[in-house]
Amino acid sequence: MISVNVKFFGPLRDAVKQDELTLDLPDVSTGEEAFGRLVALSPDLKKWRPSVRLAVNLEYVQFSHSLKSGDELSFIPPVSGG
Amino acid sequence: MVSVTATPIDVEEIIRTISSPRAGGIDIFIGTVRNHSQGKRVRQLEYSAYVPMAENVMKEIEEEIKAKWIVDAVAIVHRVGVLQVGDVAVVTAVSAPHRKEAFEACRHAIERVKEVVPIWKKEHFEEGLAWVVGQHEVDIKSPEL
Repeated sequence: MISVNVKFFGPLRDAVKQDELTLDLPDVSTGEEAFGRLVALSPDLKKWRPSVRLAVNLEYVQFSHSLKSGDELSFIPPVSGG
Repeated sequence: MVSVTATPIDVEEIIRTISSPRAGGIDIFIGTVRNHSQGKRVRQLEYSAYVPMAENVMKEIEEEIKAKWIVDAVAIVHRVGVLQVGDVAVVTAVSAPHRKEAFEACRHAIERVKEVVPIWKKEHFEEGLAWVVGQHEVDIKSPEL
């Protein structure tokens, strides 16, 4: 098992009603699988899948990115700075 | 220089920071809070950020600019927290030997901030609150307002 920390921001933080959580995942897991696990915990997240980007350790990566224990993940809803 | 700050942005200080004897000019974009959105009156805006990532992505934008244009210095600063109408929300500024590069690079900086930097805006209307999601808004009217 690996353990990753997931942080929520902006509208996703409101959707899940928490700032962060720890997810335990099988050894070989991708960002896509982490998102699937979050949807199981918080079904409201499902509708966000087409619009979110994945960040691992403060950088944008593909959803196929393989996760390591200790990674910091965030699913980034469409940004609206400026 | 890049930063996400909870305190008011000091435009003069940014100009001093990127000034250079090699520069022939500084182009600066100052984004301010406007009093309307989608035909509704905006009372205030609330910005939140994934701060360490936002600053990393801003540094990447600075590197993109330095790879593409001949410039002396780049500044990207974004405010977070609750802002009032007229407050400065974001500044991008570029000093360069020549104005063409300064204008183009500064335009690139603000466009990329709006596309990729993890910062979100929540609009406070008379009627309630709404996140701005990319270019679209999601209505999450809040009874407590």
